[in-house]
Amino acid sequence: MRKPTVVLGLGNPLMADDGIGVDLVERLEQDADRYPAVDFIDAGVGGMSVLHMIEGRRKAILIDSACMDEAPGTLRRFTPEEVHSTKILAHQSLHDADLLRVLMLAEQLGQAPGQVVIFGIQPQVVEVRQGLSGVLLDRVEYYLAEIRSELERSAG
Amino acid sequence: MAKTVNVNVHHVTRVEGHGNIVVNATNGKVEKVEWQVPEAPRFFEAMVRGRSYEDIQTIVSRICGICSITHSLASTKAVENALGIKVSEQADKVRILMHYSEQLQSHVLHVGYLVAPDLFGLPSVVPLAAKAPDAVMAVIRLHRLANEWSDLIAGRTTHPVTLKPGGLTKFPTEKELRELLGRLKNCVADLKAVAEVVLSAAGNIPNFTRETEYVSLKQDDPPTYTFYHGDITSTDYDGAVSIHDWQSVANEYMNDQSTAKWTKWHRESYTVGALARFNNNAPLLSPMAKDVAKMFGLTQGCCNPFMNSVAQIVEAVHVVETSIGMIDELLTAGIKPENVKTSPKAGKASGCVEAPRGILFHQYEFDRKGNCVGADICIPTNQNHAAIQQDFEKFVPEILDEGEDAVRLKLEMLVRSYDPCISCSTHMLNVQFVR
Repeated sequence: MRKPTVVLGLGNPLMADDGIGVDLVERLEQDADRYPAVDFIDAGVGGMSVLHMIEGRRKAILIDSACMDEAPGTLRRFTPEEVHSTKILAHQSLHDADLLRVLMLAEQLGQAPGQVVIFGIQPQVVEVRQGLSGVLLDRVEYYLAEIRSELERSAG
Repeated sequence: MAKTVNVNVHHVTRVEGHGNIVVNATNGKVEKVEWQVPEAPRFFEAMVRGRSYEDIQTIVSRICGICSITHSLASTKAVENALGIKVSEQADKVRILMHYSEQLQSHVLHVGYLVAPDLFGLPSVVPLAAKAPDAVMAVIRLHRLANEWSDLIAGRTTHPVTLKPGGLTKFPTEKELRELLGRLKNCVADLKAVAEVVLSAAGNIPNFTRETEYVSLKQDDPPTYTFYHGDITSTDYDGAVSIHDWQSVANEYMNDQSTAKWTKWHRESYTVGALARFNNNAPLLSPMAKDVAKMFGLTQGCCNPFMNSVAQIVEAVHVVETSIGMIDELLTAGIKPENVKTSPKAGKASGCVEAPRGILFHQYEFDRKGNCVGADICIPTNQNHAAIQQDFEKFVPEILDEGEDAVRLKLEMLVRSYDPCISCSTHMLNVQFVR
């Protein structure tokens, strides 16, 4: 049974800070009992599959690394309407995906959740290696606190 | 009319899933045609060194978000071959079901989201959803079914968690399999609807052929349209090569145009993927899949790379129809619990499966403690780069008179038809705040 709220952690833990979303969702899942109305999903580099993970939910919270022209480690909370994508897709491959376009498609198909909130985290390093950079690692508790307060607000 | 054409589809750093297309022609004379793949070298092979044989699958499943089950299966088979671990018939069957879910997922996405917009002259699936909402909804229902099918058997949609050397950590229950069976039977109508819609625009599939060597798995015992077991064959070769000798098939080499390795076997290039499997194994397709191939006029020996997408539709039908039969067999036998224990030892071996986009090879070497001391992975997309280059060289002079925009579009469509996997390991957001 789908729960009304879903938290998706996006990214690849083999690509250093790109894995921040997956790292955070794994940590949040450890006290999932506190949030009986929330599904926590490690969505990896989910691409189009995100469409199905958010369908039928009241609220979707997406955690992802994001190039936002901010200092490394900066977390920003935003909605899809508050940004536009600067990503150029070659459209040569199934493997290029833009989360914002997936959300646009969900909207168009009438499958978008009532509310979508994105937590973007500016990466310090994106390269083939496991483990987060020190800048992000030092802020993990702060990121978790921000996302938990979003969850408390959802519950309220 | 003599044409001057300059196409330079060149993508800057941080654009994902890209290769560069360069064409220069002056007064009808082609001066340069290049498929450039400025992909960063992959370091995943280095990442598994020193890791236990039990951890390899978890790591390599993250190489690719679309083919994570395929990478998991290839690596697990390689580990089992290296350590001499046997797998039960039941586990083997459930793994093939898992693999089929990814074939359906990937093929439906590729045809629905990338190829269909081309055939209808639209830039992406977003406007297509407005123009042909029923067809797009059928694609989305099929994709959702395939995702939930992966969830059930692999433990989640991407990056499977139920695989382990020797079997699976968890089997679906008979109740779950019965539910899946019902859903697979019901999805046939959607598969037919997607095939009909693509057929309605099939006149826009470019008419281009180039004599090509097609390489795939083949399985004689029992004869199977295989994605999982068997040996390596090609349309230029009557015999079969053991998957353990895959390096003698791939013959990887470096090319100035690319940081990815290219491959060749009996010719200057070969092609892998759905059309390669079809060309080597078509008589073994399921009855409904054969009907769909007939509907499109797809026959064995087809050398039009654009028809790869049609072969994907045929295979989508095949995996659904075949899975229905396999689930029946599993239910008849009943699901039995398994508790396989494995222990480390030294060894070196390969594992091979068909990714949706073509044959995939993994090879690992382990020391006596079962820690990885060497790895070699050869992905299908790299095996297709030389073929894409050769297609470009033949195709460009044939379409030069159509002008720059048509040349650009048709070459992009050609690349898309190969369903490549390029730089797919990260998908960061790139955003600007508007308010």
